[in-house]
Amino acid sequence: MHKFIQELVNGLTTGSVYALIALGYSMVYGILKLLNFAHGDLFMVGAFIGYFVIQWFGGPAALSVPVPIVLLVMFVLAGGGVGALGVVIERFAYRPLRDAPRIAPLITALGVSFFLENTALLFFGASYHIYNTSDFIPFSSGIHIGALDIDMARIMVIVLSVVLMIGLRLIVNRTQLGRQMRAVATDREAAEMLGINVDYTIAATFFLGSALAGVSGVMWGLVFNSVWNYMGFLAGLKAFTAAVVGGIGSISGAVLGGLLIGLAESFITGYVSSTYTNLIVFGILIAVMLLRPSGLLGRVQLQKV
Amino acid sequence: MRNPHRRRYIAVMSRSRLAVLALTALFVVGCGSSSNNSTSSSSSNTSSSSSTSASTGGSTSCTASVGMEGPITGPVAVLGEEQLAFAKLAAQDDNKANGTNITVVQGDTQLTPSIATTVTQQMISNSKIVAVVGPAGSQEVEAVGPLFGRAGMAFISGSATNSALTDGKNPTFFRVVSRDDVQGPQDAHYIVNKLHPKALMIVDDQEAYSTGLVSVMIPIFKAAGITVDHESVSQKQTDFSSLVAKVTPQTSVVVLPWQVAANAQQFGKNLAEQKKSAVIFGTDGLFSPGTFTINGSYVSSFGPDIRGIPSDSNLVTEAKAAYPKFGTFGPPVYAAEHVIDEAISTVCKGGQTPSRSNVLAAIKQTNESSSILGQPISFTPHGDLAGGKFFLFKIDAKGNYNLIPSS
Amino acid sequence: MSSQGPSIGVDEWVARSGERRGYSPGWDGLLERINDRVNWWLGLALAAGIGFAFGQAGFSSFVMQVAFNALLLALLAVGLNIAVGWAGLLDLGYIGFFGFGAYGFALLSSNQLSSSGVHLQAWESVPLVMIGGAILGLLVGLPSRRLIGDYLAIVTLFFGEAFVEFTNNVAPSKLGGPNGIFGLDPIRGFGSQIISLKGYYYLMLVLLVVTMVVLRLLDTSRTGRAWRAVREDPLAASLMTVPVNRVKLMAFSFGAMVAALAGAAFAAEQTNVFPTNFDTSYLILIYAALILGGAGSMAGAVLGAVVIEATYDGFLRSPHWAGVIFYGLILLTLLVKLRPWRRLAGVLVGTVVFGFVVYAIVHAISPSATAGGPQSGGFVADLVRNWVIVPAPKAGTIPAGPGNLEFAAVICLLIALVQLRGRWRSILMIPTIYLAACAWESRLVGQPSITRVILTGAVLIVMMNSRPQGLLGVRRVEIV
Repeated sequence: MHKFIQELVNGLTTGSVYALIALGYSMVYGILKLLNFAHGDLFMVGAFIGYFVIQWFGGPAALSVPVPIVLLVMFVLAGGGVGALGVVIERFAYRPLRDAPRIAPLITALGVSFFLENTALLFFGASYHIYNTSDFIPFSSGIHIGALDIDMARIMVIVLSVVLMIGLRLIVNRTQLGRQMRAVATDREAAEMLGINVDYTIAATFFLGSALAGVSGVMWGLVFNSVWNYMGFLAGLKAFTAAVVGGIGSISGAVLGGLLIGLAESFITGYVSSTYTNLIVFGILIAVMLLRPSGLLGRVQLQKV
Repeated sequence: MRNPHRRRYIAVMSRSRLAVLALTALFVVGCGSSSNNSTSSSSSNTSSSSSTSASTGGSTSCTASVGMEGPITGPVAVLGEEQLAFAKLAAQDDNKANGTNITVVQGDTQLTPSIATTVTQQMISNSKIVAVVGPAGSQEVEAVGPLFGRAGMAFISGSATNSALTDGKNPTFFRVVSRDDVQGPQDAHYIVNKLHPKALMIVDDQEAYSTGLVSVMIPIFKAAGITVDHESVSQKQTDFSSLVAKVTPQTSVVVLPWQVAANAQQFGKNLAEQKKSAVIFGTDGLFSPGTFTINGSYVSSFGPDIRGIPSDSNLVTEAKAAYPKFGTFGPPVYAAEHVIDEAISTVCKGGQTPSRSNVLAAIKQTNESSSILGQPISFTPHGDLAGGKFFLFKIDAKGNYNLIPSS
Repeated sequence: MSSQGPSIGVDEWVARSGERRGYSPGWDGLLERINDRVNWWLGLALAAGIGFAFGQAGFSSFVMQVAFNALLLALLAVGLNIAVGWAGLLDLGYIGFFGFGAYGFALLSSNQLSSSGVHLQAWESVPLVMIGGAILGLLVGLPSRRLIGDYLAIVTLFFGEAFVEFTNNVAPSKLGGPNGIFGLDPIRGFGSQIISLKGYYYLMLVLLVVTMVVLRLLDTSRTGRAWRAVREDPLAASLMTVPVNRVKLMAFSFGAMVAALAGAAFAAEQTNVFPTNFDTSYLILIYAALILGGAGSMAGAVLGAVVIEATYDGFLRSPHWAGVIFYGLILLTLLVKLRPWRRLAGVLVGTVVFGFVVYAIVHAISPSATAGGPQSGGFVADLVRNWVIVPAPKAGTIPAGPGNLEFAAVICLLIALVQLRGRWRSILMIPTIYLAACAWESRLVGQPSITRVILTGAVLIVMMNSRPQGLLGVRRVEIV
C-alpha cells in the first residue's frame, strides 16, 4: 500500500509537470494548429533561468534571502523571460508562415528547436546543472507518515500546477482576452472581421503558453534536480503526446493526458518492469487513441462541407 | 509580407543588375584572396603555430593532425565535451614538451554509429590526420573499425569497453581502458564477498557499456544466490523516483553501471527522499568526484584518483581550468591522445615524417611506465590495455573518494 | 498579414488560384520556370547523368559517403512524399519502416539467426523485407481509417518510438540490444559482390531512379489522382467513389515499402545495424529534406535531400567551408534584399569602415582584447584580420567567454532589426554584421560541431520563411 501511494505521488508529480507543458502546447496548437516542436526547448530555457537565479542568490546551500522569495523570483523570471522568448519566436519563425501550407511551420519549429538547444550548449556547456533542491528545501520538511515519504518540493509542484491550471481556465473562460483567444482559435478570419486584434491575441497566447513551459521547467529542476540543454526534447515529446491524447486544444484534456502519462509511467515502472515501461505506455496510448479518435476530451470535429 | 508589390517590382527590375553585381563581388573576393596570398603566408603560419602554442622547441617542424571523434552534440554531449577538452589539453601539453605541432581535429558522432561512419570517412579523407582518438561508444567502434583497418589508421578509444572489440577483427584498434570482462567480475565478486546483499537491484541505461557489464555481472550474482532485480531506464531519463519505490527493504545494494554521473546522483537523492538505505555501487562510468557524491556509495575506477597524486598536481590544476568538474571520461582520452602524440614525436625523432603507417607502428610499441591513469600503458597484440586493473573507492559524507585497499 | 487580396482558403482565393500560378518574382521564379519547362523524364535522365558523372569524378571517400547519405536521404524523402506530400497523411512513424528494413535485412542476411537455420542471400531477403515493410505499413496505416490529422500523426509517432524501444530492449540475443547486429552480407549483383562505397553509391542511384520512375507512373495513374483527391478533400473524394480508406492504406504501404528498401540498402552499406541509427533525429532530417524541397514534388524531395546533406553533413563539417557559408549567406542576403543600390553600398562600406575604426580604438585601449586573431583559416582569416575583435584565448574552453555575449547581442540586434524600418534599419545593420563577424571569429568557429547545428537551425528558419512551399513545391490551394 505504501508503495502504491508512493508511486501515486511520483506519478502525480511527473504527470503534473507534463500536464503544464502540455497546456502551453495545447493552447498554441488550438490557436494556430501548429505543432510547436520548440515548446520543449522553452521548458529547458525556463529550467536554466531557475538554476541561475539560485546561483545568483548565493547557491543552494547558502541562499542570501529567504527561500520563498527565491522561489518567487525563480518562477516570475522563468515565466516572464520564457514568455517573452515565446513571443519573439512567434514573431520570427511562425508569423511569416501563418498562411503557408500547414506543414511549413513544422520545419521552422524544428529549426528553432535546433537553434535553442545548441545555443544553450554553446553558452552553458553540456554538463548537467544541478539544482540541489534538498539543500534549501530539506526532505524532512515534507510529509512523513510511517514508511511513506513525500517531499515538500513535490507537494509544492502539485499544488502550484493545480493553481496554474485553474488560473488558466479562468483566463480562457472568463476574461476578454480568453474570449478573443477562443474566437481566433475557432475562426481567425471571422475574429478579425469582428475587430479582434489577431496578431496581439496570438502573441498573448504564445506568451501564456511559453510562460507555463518556463514555470514547469523550474518545477522540473526543483523535483528532478538535473538541468541540461537537451532536456526539452523528451519533455516536449511527452507534452505533445499528452496534448494529443487528451484532445488537442482542450485544456482539461491536456491536464488529463499529462496525468495519465505520468501515472502510467510510474505504475508500470513500479509494478511491471522498467525495461518495458515505454513500450507499454505507447501501447496504452495507442489503445486510447483507437477507442477515442479525437482524444479523451477532444470534441469530435465537425467536417466543413 | 507587408507590401508585396513593392518587393516584386524591385526584384524584377534588378535581376540583370544583380547578376552584374554578384560577378563583381566574386571578382573582388577572388582578387582579395589571391593578392593576399603572397603577403599573408607568413602571418597564417604564425597564427597556426600560436593557436597550438607549440613554438618552444625550435626543432624541425613535426606537424600532424590527430582526429578526435566523440559525441560533442546530442543527448550525451556531456561525455564528448569532457573528452574533447582533455584531448586538446593533452595535445597542448605534449606540443610544449616535445616541440611538436599537433592539432586536434574534432568530429561529432552524436554516439550514433551511422554518423560515426561519415565522420570517420572525413578523418580518413583528410591526409593530414595520422591517427584518431575515439570514438566513444563500443557500437561506434564496431561500425568504424573496418574503415580504419582498411585505411591502416590507428584509433584509440578512451571509453569503448565491450570485450568483443579486441578479438582480432580490428587490427588498428587500441584502447586505454579495460574490458567489461575485467571490471564486471571484479566488481561483482566484491559485492558478493564484502557487501553480502540478500537482494540487489541492477539498472542498465540501455547503452552498450551498461548492458555489457550487466550481462557479465548478473550470472555471478545469481550463482551466489542473490535475488536480482534487473531494471532498465533510458540514459535520457532523469527521474528515478518510481524505480526507487521498487527498492525493497531487503535490497541493500543498487548496482548502477551508468555513464552519466548526474543521473546516479539523482538516483541517490531519490533514495534519500524515500528513506531507503540501499547502497549505490557504481562502475567506472560514474567515477566523478564533484558530481556523484552520495555518502556511502562505492565506485570502481580504472585508476587511482589523480587528484590525490602529488606528481600529477600540475596536470590536475590544468585540467580543472579546462574542465572544472572532470570525471571519468577525460583522463583516458588524455592518455590516448598522449600515446598518439608520443608516437608522432618518436617517428619525428627517428628522422621520418609522421605517416599513418609509422605512427601505427610506433603506437604498437608504446611502453609508458607511468601515465595519467596511474598505471603503465602498453598494448596487447589485439589492442587491449596490458594488465589493466581496477581500483575501488568509497564515498564519504563530504563527497570525498577514499581508496579501498585491495585485499 | 497582407491586407491586399483575399485571404488564403476563402472562395474568392480558390477561384483566382489560376492567376497566382504565375511565377514568383526574382530568383525563385527562375527556379519555378525551369522546373516547369523541363520535361519530367528529361529532368530525371539529366539528374541521373549528373549523379553518374559525380561518381566517376574521383572524389574522396568522405565526399562519396556524403553523396551516398544524400541519395539515401533522397530515397527516404521520396518514399515519405507518398504519404505526406501526395496523400496528405502526417506519418511520423516513417523512421520505423526504415529501421524495419534494415533490421529485417540484418536478421535474414547475417549469421545472427543461422542457429535457427536462417541465412538468406541478399536477392532473397531484400524482396522479403520489402513485402514485410509493405504489410507493416498497412498495419500501421490501419488507424488512418478512424484517425485524422494530428491524431494519426501521434499514433504513428508511437510506432516509430516503439520500434527503437523494441530493438533496444526486446530479445537481446536475437536483436542484439544496444550492441546491434554486425557482420552483414554485402549485396550481390550480376555475379559480383558490392563492397566498395562507390559501388553502394551507384546501387543507391539506381534504386532511387527506379523508385522514382515507378512512383511517377503511379502518381500519374488513377491511384495518384485518388491520393491527391483524398488529400484535398476526403469527403468530396468519397462522393466521387474514391475508396478513401483503401487509398490511404496504399499510400502508407507504398511509403513503407520504399523505406524498407532504403533500410536494407543502408544496412548492407554499413554492414551493421544499431537502434540509435533509427531514432527521431534522423526522422527530422527526412522531414526537413522533404518539406524544404517541397512536399508533393519528387524532384523537390531529391533536391531538398541533396541540399540538406551537402550542407549539414558535408560543408558544415569543415570549419573552412562553414566560414564561407556564413559570410557568403550574409553577403548574399544583403545583395538580394537590400535596395536601393546606394543603401547597399552604404551598408557595405559602412561595415568595413566601422570595423577598422572599432578595431583601432579597441586596440589602442587594450591590445590584449584584440590579441586573439580570427580563428578561421584560409583566405577568410586574411580578409578579416585587423578588422574583427577577438580577445586572447583563455585557458578554459568551456566557461562563457565574450564570444557568447557577442552572439547573444547579435541575436538581440537581429530582433531589433526586424522591428525597425527605413534609415535606422540600415544604420543598425552595420554594427549587427560587424558583431556577427566578431562572434563568429571568436566563438563559433572554435566550436565547429555545435555551430554546425546552430547554423542548420537558422538556415531552416530562413529558408522556410523565404519559400514556405519549399524549393520546388507548388503553392497549392489549402481548404481551411
